[in-house]
Amino acid sequence: MMVLRTLQRAPLHGYALAQQIKRFSKDLLQIEEGSLYPALQRMLKDGWLKAHWDVSPSGRRIRVYQVTAAGAKHLDREVSSFERMLEGIRFVLEAEET
Amino acid sequence: MNFIKQLIFRRKIDRDVDDEIREHIAEKAAELEAQGMSPAAALLAARREFGNLALTAEQSREVWHYAPVEELLADLRYALRQLRRAPAFAAAAIATLALGIGANTAVFSVVNAVVLRPLPFPDSGRLISVQARRIEAGTPHPEDLSYPQFFEFRKRNTTLDSLVSYHNTSMALSGAGEAVNVPAQIVSWNLFDALRVQPLAGRAFQPDDEAAASHTVILGYRLWQGKFSADPSIVGRTVSLNREPYTVIGVAPRDFVFPLGNPDVQLWTTLAIDARSNTKEPMTAQAGARLLQAVARLRPGVSIQRATAELDSIEAALGRQDPDNYLQVPSTWTAPAIDSLVGDTRRPILILLGAVGLVLLVACANVANLLLARTAEREREFAVRASIGAGRGRIVRQLLTESFTLALAGSAAGVMLANACVKAVAQLAAGSIPRIEEASVDGHVLAFSIALAFITTVLFSLAPAVRLARMELISPLKEAARGNAAGGGKFRSAVVVFQIALGLVLVSGAGLLASSFVQLMRRDVGFRPGGLLTFSIGLPRSLSHGIAHLAFESRVVDRLRALPGVTDAAVAVPMPLAGDQIMVSFNIEERPSAPSQHPVSDIALVTPDYFRTVGIPLQEGRGFTENDNATSEPVLIVNRAFADKFFPGENAIGKRIEPGATTDDARNGMRQIVGIVGNASQDALSSAPAPIYYYAAKQLGWCCASYVVRTAGSVAALASSLHSVVASIDPSAPVYAVHPMEENLSKAFSGPRFQLLLLGAFAAIALLLSAVGLYGVLAYAVLSRTREIGIRVALGANRAIVLRMVLRQAALLVAAGVAIGALGATAGNRLIATIVYAPAMPQALLLSAASLILVVTAAAAAIVPARRAAAVDPIQALRAE
Repeated sequence: MMVLRTLQRAPLHGYALAQQIKRFSKDLLQIEEGSLYPALQRMLKDGWLKAHWDVSPSGRRIRVYQVTAAGAKHLDREVSSFERMLEGIRFVLEAEET
Repeated sequence: MNFIKQLIFRRKIDRDVDDEIREHIAEKAAELEAQGMSPAAALLAARREFGNLALTAEQSREVWHYAPVEELLADLRYALRQLRRAPAFAAAAIATLALGIGANTAVFSVVNAVVLRPLPFPDSGRLISVQARRIEAGTPHPEDLSYPQFFEFRKRNTTLDSLVSYHNTSMALSGAGEAVNVPAQIVSWNLFDALRVQPLAGRAFQPDDEAAASHTVILGYRLWQGKFSADPSIVGRTVSLNREPYTVIGVAPRDFVFPLGNPDVQLWTTLAIDARSNTKEPMTAQAGARLLQAVARLRPGVSIQRATAELDSIEAALGRQDPDNYLQVPSTWTAPAIDSLVGDTRRPILILLGAVGLVLLVACANVANLLLARTAEREREFAVRASIGAGRGRIVRQLLTESFTLALAGSAAGVMLANACVKAVAQLAAGSIPRIEEASVDGHVLAFSIALAFITTVLFSLAPAVRLARMELISPLKEAARGNAAGGGKFRSAVVVFQIALGLVLVSGAGLLASSFVQLMRRDVGFRPGGLLTFSIGLPRSLSHGIAHLAFESRVVDRLRALPGVTDAAVAVPMPLAGDQIMVSFNIEERPSAPSQHPVSDIALVTPDYFRTVGIPLQEGRGFTENDNATSEPVLIVNRAFADKFFPGENAIGKRIEPGATTDDARNGMRQIVGIVGNASQDALSSAPAPIYYYAAKQLGWCCASYVVRTAGSVAALASSLHSVVASIDPSAPVYAVHPMEENLSKAFSGPRFQLLLLGAFAAIALLLSAVGLYGVLAYAVLSRTREIGIRVALGANRAIVLRMVLRQAALLVAAGVAIGALGATAGNRLIATIVYAPAMPQALLLSAASLILVVTAAAAAIVPARRAAAVDPIQALRAE
């Protein structure tokens, strides 16, 4: 979800994506950078992302990932279901307080 | 399909992932370096941040793997490696399966060719055979049609697209090299239309080709190739058949066979030839001459029932018009054309298929046993695999893959085996089973054997798989891999019992066929076939009837008698055991009946020397003489069965009967019986001697006689000199159907012999496999009990006790197998008894004999492991631990 959301803002390559996520999560989430790659491959296979090789402004070969229409749709579904879940949790917590 | 694409693009994906990760590390390192780290430290830090490099790459790649296929391929590779590592096991299992699957494939290819394959004509499902239904003594049986009946059916029906008549003949083809006799068919004009076959060249018959004056013929492809060198201008040419000019109007396609099962037929002409027959009335007008078979094509949408009902009503109308000719055939007998072709041969073939299925079960049982033993040996391996993370399902699947690899290899070897011997098998039954010569390994047969590979895999790996699934996988690791045969032992014993039971079923079935066959061979044919040679001569119509024919015949017989070694020669029609029979009704003077109620019996026309030549004894009265001719009193000789059936308790000699057989010299009427001869079989397979009455050949000038010669010398040498004898009388008269009488006899037995040989082979295979199975179980038991036996011997048990211990185990298995098998054999034999031509030994005797064979075989298999057990050295056995 995080990956899709991040890439929806702008297509990125793996390294940049890892840095972005780290920054957005304010370093709260300690994930190994490498674990990103299997996830990316899974999403490529499912058709949520597409990738192409490019050259970065610093002259590096990079593989840029981009969200597809199917990926966007999936993200919407995920987000709404996640929000529903959060809401559910909130209800339960609030109910206990009262 | 996606996974295939992924398999192909796998390499690119792998490279992309690797590149990407390398770039990631490099970029990170460059960034860290820019923050002031040394290059080496930066690279190290970048790697640390990244995590496990190899694992990440592996996991990324794995995303793309299509698990089932990947695992299958891995399993397959592993299976092959395993089998290579145990070549003895693999060879034994594959050979057993090859035997089982090969035998099944061979038999199935026969079933496929004979029973399953549709007739080789477009939309052949709509073809039906049409016969008349005769009711005799309450039981109906099919009978051939007469021309007037056929014409009536053809004219009046509304349910058939076409109705075609056909019957056998043969025609002497001369003027194209050496004169030859060609098997031919006389058909109604619409044969090719009804079958929806286009001639290769020229045209099919048309209605006016049936006119009596018409002489048209269609050549078979083989005849055209052979005799006419595939001459492209053959259509329109004139050829000489029976020394009459015929116009070739067409050539049949290469694969055209009609009637089916009779590929020798190479000429087709129309019923015009019967319309001009030089009988008193043309054949086409004789309602009593039932010689036609018929095949019809149903109109679209018409069921066979509706067509039959209509034909029945036409037949009923005929019966009202002409009760004498039609009262005994009140309705019709129709069947899908394929059923009437396959007919009685279906049941024996299906019984053989069932039997060979049992052989496969025995083979599977053997492989299951091998596999169980092997699984026990590999328990440690499985335990190791389980402990490093393989799921139970995964291990079972691995086992199944190994089994399937075995089955597939066995199947491949089996198909090769079947392919090699199916022709030989077909040869055994040639002539007794239609279409069997077409048996071959085709797509259907391949599919069948692959299906067998699947089924056998399930059958023989079920037990080991279940055992593995139940097993405590870790325990073998804890114990020091002590032989763990106890659990499997019980199951393996059950498998052996099952094998012995099946073996008994097959052996007793083969015994039934064998004893019936011996009876058949021992049955007295009523004459002496040894030293007899039979043959026919193709003559033109001008020479095949009447005085000219008789003169020709006696010249041939005289020349034959003059040959060295020849002791006798005679003429007869039809020749006994040659597969032909002529049935003619007659009226008994003392007990006259309406024509429709006349009794019927076999007849034959013979020259005076016939009985002496073939060796039929004269029992009462006199034989024929040269004086029984066209001007003397008409006489008959009957056989003992005829006298007993139609004149029971009386003396048949002097009685008079009036046969229905007519001749153009109009000498019909009562004929006196002057002699009684012994019963000689016209048909080798009929169980009871059939009544027959004999005409003196000079008193009924019918055509197409065969010659029979007795020689004291070699029959083969005589056969080779026939052509020159006949050529010296008439060079354009072809000699054909030259067969030693013993060959006729052996050909008549080819059906039963085929069944016996096949079932016998199956029984032998089953016996061998069961013996191997028993041996395996006992040997394994002895091996795993070596320690126990050693202790027993050390404690004072002597060799005899040990020997008895092992043999007792064998005896228990065999006894259980025989007991179960006896039940199956009783049921199986009841089925097999329906296809034999002679009574077999009594059931109890058969079963005891079969059981004895099994017990002896089992004893042979048990004695080796028993002696090995008895030879166990206690010191060695205990030290080996």
